[in-house]
Amino acid sequence: MRPIVPQPKGAREDVILFTVGGFRLAIAANAVSEIRGLEDLQRFTLGATYLRTAKIDFTLERNGRTYFVVNAAQHFRLPPSTPTRLLVLRQTEAAIQVDSTDRMMEISVLHALPQAFTGDERNWYRGLAVMNGDVVPVVNQNAFLSRAEMAVLKTAVQRVKGAAAV
Amino acid sequence: MSSGEKSFVSFPLGKKRFAFHAEDVTELAKPDRLQVFPHRTGLLAGVLVRRGRVVPVLDVAQVLVGPDAPPRKFYLIVNRQFGARQEWTAIPVTGECELISAEPVAPSSKMPHYVTGLLTLNGEIVEVVSLAKLVSEEAPA
Repeated sequence: MRPIVPQPKGAREDVILFTVGGFRLAIAANAVSEIRGLEDLQRFTLGATYLRTAKIDFTLERNGRTYFVVNAAQHFRLPPSTPTRLLVLRQTEAAIQVDSTDRMMEISVLHALPQAFTGDERNWYRGLAVMNGDVVPVVNQNAFLSRAEMAVLKTAVQRVKGAAAV
Repeated sequence: MSSGEKSFVSFPLGKKRFAFHAEDVTELAKPDRLQVFPHRTGLLAGVLVRRGRVVPVLDVAQVLVGPDAPPRKFYLIVNRQFGARQEWTAIPVTGECELISAEPVAPSSKMPHYVTGLLTLNGEIVEVVSLAKLVSEEAPA
């Protein structure tokens, strides 16, 4: 997993707000290359074969690359939701299925996640933003698929493509 | 205050009262808006925003009195130690809190590990609770 470069306190940052399972979350705007609908997704069954959490049901072929589509509700261990939008991430071959996207906002302070939180959320979030009194977690875009998970999935896809070509 | 007496803040959870060491308690706060987001830490109910800080809310009533605890009305803000750092944590309680001075009695080995002492208050036995021990037993990382 790539290290997160800590933002200096007070540095301004644009984030995109989105919802998953009724929760509002944010992601750094510069981590997203495209917001799109769910058209052109291809069913992918190998995710459940190789990964502990069944969070990848689809891939997206785009510009000659295979993007692994992470179901955000599964990632956050939430009940199944109804995704309608896709956040295609920059600098990684992953995309995130979310229920909806809202608007872009600028945040100036990213609060550290309180130490009382000790579970997976320590990896899920870069920190917490407070927007008009509302606490909105800012997700760690690198947590949706670790480098190791990505390597396993890419290898699985290449093996399938190789077998199909024979 | 006699030499063995210490200060405690007692708080109600339903029909029972419990206590924290007074030096760990920062304030009693009025009801505030609990905000929730996905997480995987046991006992944490969400967070409050208080004086510009994001304060985690730890619902110890599930452990101390079980699932039938009545609605919590106030938040007791306590300091928790994380290594060299201190952090506020809000504990939902069901009524008014009380500052008391008393000499604690060591609990029997049959009491839960997080009960570090017993007090008597108005004919009632009050369990002194160590939040650190309670969390480490009931919501391990």
